[in-house]
Amino acid sequence: MKRFLRVVLVGVVGVWSVSIPVAAQRVDWPTEDPPPPLLERDVAFPEYEIRTLDNGLQVVFVGHHEMPAVTVRLLVRAGASADPSDMPGVAALTSQLLDQGTTSRSAQEIAETIDSIGGGLIVGAGTDLSFINILVMKDSFDLALEMLSDVARRPAFAQVEIDRQRQQVLSGMQVSYDDPAYIAGIVFNRLIYGFHPYGMPHNGTPASAREIERDDLVTFHATHFMPNNAVLAVVGDVSADEAFQGVERVLGDWEHGQLPRLSRIDPPQPTRRLVIIDKPGAVQTVFRVGHLTLPRVHDDYLTFDLAIKILGGEGGNRIGGALRTERSLTYSASAELVGRQFGGDFTAMTDTRSDATAEVLRLIVDEITRLQRDRVSRRELGGAQDYLAGNFPITIETPNAIAAQVLEAILYGLDLGDLETYRERINAVTADDVQQAARSHLKPEMLSIVLVGDASTFVDDLAGVGFDRYDVVPLSEFDLTTPDFRRPAAARP
Amino acid sequence: MTLVRCRYVSILVVTLAIVGSVSLGGAVRPPKFDYQITTLDNGLTVILSEDHSTPIVNFQLWYHVGSKNEPPGRTGFAHLFEHLMFKGSHNVAPEQHLTMVARVGGDGNAFTTEDATVFFETVPSQYLPLILWLEADRMATLRIDQTALDSEREVVKEERRWRYENEPFGLLSEIVYDNAFTTHPYKHTPIGSMADLEAASIEDVQAFFDTYYVPENATLTLVGDFETANALQMIEHYFGRVPRAARPVPRDIPQEPPPGGERRLTVEADNWPLPTVVVAHPITYDGHPDAYPLHILSKILSDGQSSRIYRRLVYEQQVAVSAFGQGNIIEDPHLFYAVAIVQPGRAVDETASALIAELDRMRSELPGDDELQRAKNQFARDYVIGRMTNDQKASHLAHAAVIHDDVTTADGEFDIFMNVTKDDVQRVAQTYFRDDNRLVLTIMPRGRSGGGSLLRDSR
Repeated sequence: MKRFLRVVLVGVVGVWSVSIPVAAQRVDWPTEDPPPPLLERDVAFPEYEIRTLDNGLQVVFVGHHEMPAVTVRLLVRAGASADPSDMPGVAALTSQLLDQGTTSRSAQEIAETIDSIGGGLIVGAGTDLSFINILVMKDSFDLALEMLSDVARRPAFAQVEIDRQRQQVLSGMQVSYDDPAYIAGIVFNRLIYGFHPYGMPHNGTPASAREIERDDLVTFHATHFMPNNAVLAVVGDVSADEAFQGVERVLGDWEHGQLPRLSRIDPPQPTRRLVIIDKPGAVQTVFRVGHLTLPRVHDDYLTFDLAIKILGGEGGNRIGGALRTERSLTYSASAELVGRQFGGDFTAMTDTRSDATAEVLRLIVDEITRLQRDRVSRRELGGAQDYLAGNFPITIETPNAIAAQVLEAILYGLDLGDLETYRERINAVTADDVQQAARSHLKPEMLSIVLVGDASTFVDDLAGVGFDRYDVVPLSEFDLTTPDFRRPAAARP
Repeated sequence: MTLVRCRYVSILVVTLAIVGSVSLGGAVRPPKFDYQITTLDNGLTVILSEDHSTPIVNFQLWYHVGSKNEPPGRTGFAHLFEHLMFKGSHNVAPEQHLTMVARVGGDGNAFTTEDATVFFETVPSQYLPLILWLEADRMATLRIDQTALDSEREVVKEERRWRYENEPFGLLSEIVYDNAFTTHPYKHTPIGSMADLEAASIEDVQAFFDTYYVPENATLTLVGDFETANALQMIEHYFGRVPRAARPVPRDIPQEPPPGGERRLTVEADNWPLPTVVVAHPITYDGHPDAYPLHILSKILSDGQSSRIYRRLVYEQQVAVSAFGQGNIIEDPHLFYAVAIVQPGRAVDETASALIAELDRMRSELPGDDELQRAKNQFARDYVIGRMTNDQKASHLAHAAVIHDDVTTADGEFDIFMNVTKDDVQRVAQTYFRDDNRLVLTIMPRGRSGGGSLLRDSR
């Protein structure tokens, strides 16, 4: 059946000045501009509440009553960056043991309890924090709090469970060391952060995973897991009173402790370096390109983040345009600014077929150079600003997403008022500001570059695109803990 | 701009009130959806569900075509076509679709499964007209040209390399399905093969568009901050002018014959760090009464650290680094398959026997009352946390309408799941986990299949 159509004939050329192939057209269709928006509704950052218990535990509450679920999340301000310098992986293994038995419950009892109520329990360690997340339906809220308190305060660290988790870590690494994206990530971090704790993978190395002992875990836990070093969030279908009273009941008697003092070496200054990890037979090369830059708390952070979004983020993405849209050299290309507590980095990343490696490397470095050298256009900046400011209501859709923003602000010591003014601050940035931030903080001559792929397919092309100095390390000889990433000759099989 | 008169004549309105959460069999009951469903004159199905809690709206357009509609020699085509939908239309320049969405703060993308191709956007709610205009424009007037096909073909090849070939264990499903199926197009996964991607022609693109990208093969779902009457008027305006298809949408998918007995085989794969055992059985389709107990059975076997496969293989016996099992319950009958990555130092045969033993136990013994209740509670949890965002809600509504051809299952399935009994679980285990339809597949790192593994192909 044919529809009646109102055809508006404006001309034979589309509004974007591209000719329209006749083959696709199966209907007379009006040539028209996009419709204007409807009236905008006001939107503000949703309500939340923060209280601090007498023992120093900060508690965040975000209520949400559409779905009958509650999440409780404990964040302890110590992660992999608090690992002993010669023993990476302690924070990760400590957190992995939390739900593998407490002084009153076995690992199996914990699993049975959580699974039988249809809950979820996740533990782990990030760079600067360790976490315990428990999700339950609202009728199990008290149980969730009690379980959280138990696994946070009274882990048993039974030797048999340590050995079991250690074996899992080692087997997991055997898989990871075959994963070019994982290898690229850990080599890149080592290059950027050197032997600063950020330079080592969270779960450690095969050598450290074998050496960690029970005492290391007990010590890490005793040093860092204390209420005045933690933040707890209650998110979901309970009232504020239920949340705060419940937390007080199970964690009010958690003893306040002496905050640890950690001394850390500084990460090295950026230097130009290109490291190739050779994985014969790989069909693609994995790229990581970047250098050390701003920590999360810095006056230029927001502006520099906008610059990096123009380079490789939503609403911009010059490298995505150059590599994918214009040349079909990749499925995905992006760049991001990772701001941490004691430093940060920017990373451009992509993957391309092996024989295009040199071309892609040149294109990425050229885009970084251009961003540092040339002022961005108002249109490009506007694209990034429009995306970030416009996207704001989407970032507050779920209570957990709201809580995540509040927790980030608390953990990094950001001004909570900034949550309300995000859009205004984004829109106030000018092209001059972006240029100044890019000039101050981008160092195209000092890039750390990691390529993981089949070196034989591209090393000969590198000099032709301006990269004549590089190290090639066979994956079979790879060692993250040596300066040149090679296992010492004596240790090779 | 003139709005076309809204046609209420053909509208079938189903409104369901929100009910509060109640306890049912121990599981917390989430609220039901509140929605309307209608069909435009050109056959486009429209589902609208208002939610004003945040000023955003999620739009999904499901085309009922996926990799199972691909003819022989054209694997990967449905997904390649999905990419071409971003290459411009009458009023939209190539690659501008997502730029225009991002420019208003929106997020958008698309994905292709065996059964459907889904285009979606979430935007601040005042930009709903823009999204409707963009999506209708490409439904009616997609630009089809050789340059776009050639360039996007290369992008999709990079996607295949990145997601599957260069990723450890990335080809697991491809290897399992290829060995399990003989006839049904589920034999291949949506990414397809490099050779078939290479073979795709501009004539294929035009034919696929004309056949499948038509209003009667599409379901439009909106969840979020809009007024239903107003949204429907806009949908009529932008999509109502897309013509009906010239011919009915074909649904002639070759069906899989039953396997002729147990098969045990060993294959080698690239990028395969550790030996892996897969045990697979053909099962039924999404929506069949047996599908619900099969889902519960999957949870008993493999949801959480107290589930049988994890407990036995990973925790107690430590024969596997990782192990899981799942029913791939989709539009046509697919597989239940369980996977165990063999713990270094343990024999492949030992891991395979342990895995098969857990599947056997499902048919020889009734599950415990506690296990059944646990699985139902876990199902209820998934149900609740899977309906938090507008995007998730729209997916459930659209899935029910497209795959079940019955939007009421988006809510109705909850009670069916809660009423599954221990006998149902054992019955489906006995029906589908049979010795004579079992595939035991050992996947070895290339060059390491000698010794210590299962028998070679012994069909």
